[in-house]
Amino acid sequence: MSDITLPRNNIKITTGALVCEDSKLRGDITIGKDTIVHPMATIIAESAPIIIGENCLIEEQAKIVYRVPFDRVEDKDNIPPLIIGSFNVFEVGCHVEAAKIGDSNVFESKCFVGNKVSVSNGCTIGAGCQLTNEQELKENIIVYGEKCQMREGLSKPLPQYSQMETLMKILPSYHHIKKPTQKTK
Amino acid sequence: MPLYEVEKSTIVLDIGTAYTKFGFTGEPVPRSIFRTQVKSKGQLRSLLDYQDSQDLYDMLVDFFHDIYFKYALNSPKDKPIVIVESLLCPIIFRESVAKVLFKHYGISSLLLLSSHLVSLATLAVETALVLDVGYKEAVCIPICYGLPMINAWQSLDLGSCSIHRNLQSLLYEKNSGAESLSEWILEDIKVRCCFVTKRSRAEQLSLSKPELGPCPEVKYPVEGNSILRVTGTIREKAYEILFDEDNDHLCLPTMILDALMKVNVDLRNQLAENILLIGGTTMAMGFKSRLKEELLHHMKEERYRKLNIKCFKFHASPSKENYTAWLGGAIYGATDWLNTKALTKDEYFEDNRLPDWSDLKYNTRRP
Amino acid sequence: MSAGFLDIDCVKYACTCGLLKTLQQLYFCRYCSELRCTFCVSHEVDSHFCGKCCENLPSAEARVKKNRCVNCFICPSCRQELSTRAASKQPANPEESKATKRTYYLSCLCCRWSSRDIGLPDQTAATGSWPKRESIHSNRIQEIVSMYKGLQEKEKLDKEFFKKKQKEKIISYTDKTGITAAALRKRIGLPEDKPILKPKNAVKIVTPSKADENIDDFDEEVLTKSINLLEITSIDQRLLQPDVQPKEISNIFPIQKILSIKRSLRCRRCEHNVSKPEYNPNSIKFKIQLFAYYHIPEVRIVTVEPLRAGQACELILKFTNPTQHQTTVSFLPFDSPIEVKEAIPEEGAISQEDSLEELDKSSLTPSKKKSSSGTKLMSLVDTHITLTTSRSSARALSPRSIAESINCTVDIPSSTFILPPRDDAAEYDDFNEVHNIQDDKKLVVWRKSNKAYIKLVVTPNEDMPIDTTVTTGFTMSHLYTNTIASVADNKKPQKFNHNMRVILKLGKSVGLN
Repeated sequence: MSDITLPRNNIKITTGALVCEDSKLRGDITIGKDTIVHPMATIIAESAPIIIGENCLIEEQAKIVYRVPFDRVEDKDNIPPLIIGSFNVFEVGCHVEAAKIGDSNVFESKCFVGNKVSVSNGCTIGAGCQLTNEQELKENIIVYGEKCQMREGLSKPLPQYSQMETLMKILPSYHHIKKPTQKTK
Repeated sequence: MPLYEVEKSTIVLDIGTAYTKFGFTGEPVPRSIFRTQVKSKGQLRSLLDYQDSQDLYDMLVDFFHDIYFKYALNSPKDKPIVIVESLLCPIIFRESVAKVLFKHYGISSLLLLSSHLVSLATLAVETALVLDVGYKEAVCIPICYGLPMINAWQSLDLGSCSIHRNLQSLLYEKNSGAESLSEWILEDIKVRCCFVTKRSRAEQLSLSKPELGPCPEVKYPVEGNSILRVTGTIREKAYEILFDEDNDHLCLPTMILDALMKVNVDLRNQLAENILLIGGTTMAMGFKSRLKEELLHHMKEERYRKLNIKCFKFHASPSKENYTAWLGGAIYGATDWLNTKALTKDEYFEDNRLPDWSDLKYNTRRP
Repeated sequence: MSAGFLDIDCVKYACTCGLLKTLQQLYFCRYCSELRCTFCVSHEVDSHFCGKCCENLPSAEARVKKNRCVNCFICPSCRQELSTRAASKQPANPEESKATKRTYYLSCLCCRWSSRDIGLPDQTAATGSWPKRESIHSNRIQEIVSMYKGLQEKEKLDKEFFKKKQKEKIISYTDKTGITAAALRKRIGLPEDKPILKPKNAVKIVTPSKADENIDDFDEEVLTKSINLLEITSIDQRLLQPDVQPKEISNIFPIQKILSIKRSLRCRRCEHNVSKPEYNPNSIKFKIQLFAYYHIPEVRIVTVEPLRAGQACELILKFTNPTQHQTTVSFLPFDSPIEVKEAIPEEGAISQEDSLEELDKSSLTPSKKKSSSGTKLMSLVDTHITLTTSRSSARALSPRSIAESINCTVDIPSSTFILPPRDDAAEYDDFNEVHNIQDDKKLVVWRKSNKAYIKLVVTPNEDMPIDTTVTTGFTMSHLYTNTIASVADNKKPQKFNHNMRVILKLGKSVGLN
């Protein structure tokens, strides 16, 4: 995967976040308050830091990779960090390399979002949908079906508070949890 | 509808090249419209892409299986069925349909109706010029007092298929990779982006340097991995293939005029003032007004001078154009015709063939 | 039928109708003792139910409801089933009532479309209260239909009237005799005979449609305004609602789900069911399910030596007896005629094969052969058919030839072997089973309970190029014990040999070593 050497691991976990020990975190990553990272989730900050906001849910086998686009390999040092907003859900087996991710997005199971895509707020990428070409998803866009049909939603997907509450209770009893390194600001 | 009437309702089918219209007699709207496709040998195939008669037979068995058990939810045995067909339906197809229905499914009777003729039933008129623009071809038949004027029929290979081909080549000029677009995407682009433009604009667009601004461009995302540029010119020009004269100076409007030329002088005005357009392609935005414009334009030509027609009038049937023929079949099927004119099982098994208007054996008055 | 782990298509059986299927896809009619497949049985609708809510509907009710479920909807945007979601709505006036009202809306879990997207107000009841749309043209079309019905009726009456009138004319020739019927009546003093009235024209004629010269189907706006693809429906979305065919996404409407059916399968010849499901939609069991898998020995390929053109190689097959009766299996050449039973004729009309099918007859094994002994049975069956059911006429399908060419020959062994009955308890038997079966050691390699490994010698054709799929086949004859007759007539179970063709795909041929 990489001839580029990964930067040193620098994981910052805010108090209130729940990050399982079994997850794979590489590079400079900041995880916001109340965000849950399941075991076997993968987050790789290959080219620049990743900053994940609050109340995000990153499920098993989900993969978030921030990688240098090929056309920007030269000015390697000036790449801005990937800021992932709040209330995003990364479902089982999704693979997200998007260059920009706003708030309240849902990446459904096994979807793929390429590194030329920028995702705004309230978008849903349906199960199995593959978005690769350069595009900007406007607010509340829903991509679904095998032909990646698009439609515009009425509102943002609702945050799944009850599920996150349950996970907050259950996960620590069965998994080792990484200790928070930062206090809430 | 009262219960006893529901009990008796019969399946009406209009099997088009692209879409099949399915419903029951006496109902105002088809129950479903679906692609004329069959899952055969592990892939979806169009029913009309058959290799030989055996292949067609097998596909038709699957096709009618779907119709009976997925849509109609009725056992086919000992029940009648109404099928609306084009006068130009290939013999092998008609025969195979009859064979599958009578032999494999054991239906009691089959009522075959001509799509052009029955479409008039939706209007309650007897004389009209019917132009059917479907997927593969456009067929124009004048009908006078309930009789199709077979000698005046016109047909051209113009329809959705040729529009799709045209659209594909237009897209290819602007986008690489457009040659591999699936039929589904081409149809979707056509339906959602393209329209029939006005004659004045079309003339301008055909020039090398048009003096007008094109309509806005559309960016069409294809399956999440590329974006097609559908320029304004493409949007306007996709349908032009229907109105461009070919090498024989034939196009959609000339078909109507040529048909009028072939009928009796006394009927010409009446037919021109009773034009009925059927088939899904005629539903495109601007199609009818453009057709009228073109008709009036072609009237100025020398070859049509002696027609002497001042105006063209169009009918609006109480349906969407793509199922007008089906609706005609549903109306006919609701009447006593189903019992009197249908081909029964016993009649079919007499010589295992369908009566055909083009066959002199059947096309004579019975004593 | 879906593929399972048992459903491997390298071994196929030829159904009586000539199609090649795996054993798992075949049925076995116990009354005709023939293989049947989904193609050559007749399908019938058994019961209607909704695939989502599993509600059972009697067929008459289903018809009235236009084969659609009242409570379940599918998404007009992506065709997935919509789920009903509850939302609690705070009353507008907080003092009015303290209890929050529950309202319901429909939502799609696939494309996240919801009934709120089109501004459909939430409903207070979870089911049944969603508004329905009627076709705007339905009245006009009803009028037209009744007019045409009336006209037809009138035509019929007119014809009768004409006939009567003709009769009257003939009678009136009695004028020549000087006494007419009317005159006679007058003389006797009877009231005057009513003349036959022409039937009244009671048909309400619908005003015919008026053609219009002005057409306005072009919107100038399209030339200047850019369009938003997300607001325009695709053709599939339009055709989901044939009556409206909406162009804008804001006009789509939840669609009632089409019902599903349970089917029963019936043998075309004897009209017995080969498969009949239970009525309850929640049950996945069958009342009758005559799978061939329970009656016909199963053949599986164990090993095959590398296949070289023109060279004999060893093939080991495993035979399993699924029945409760001992059977004897023997081999016949592939194109040996399948006996009498197969040749039961269809009725006159059908046996005249029409030209369409004739063309496809390949040289390979036309399975319709009439031996002299067959004709006797044939005539018997013929009368049987005509006596009992005229319905069964035209129902049997003419068998077709097998669409697979054999490019490898099998040395047909002359000896037979025995397969003991299936014994479910055998597996738990700790003792080594002892069987006193005298086997031809050349044929039977190994055996255990109801299974046996059989060694055959196959030779791919001489001229076969490398890397072609080697297909071979033979006719398997096994002793079938029919228990149906014994139950019905209190007789001993009938035993007879049942033959069928088996086709094996052995893999690709390899080069010479």
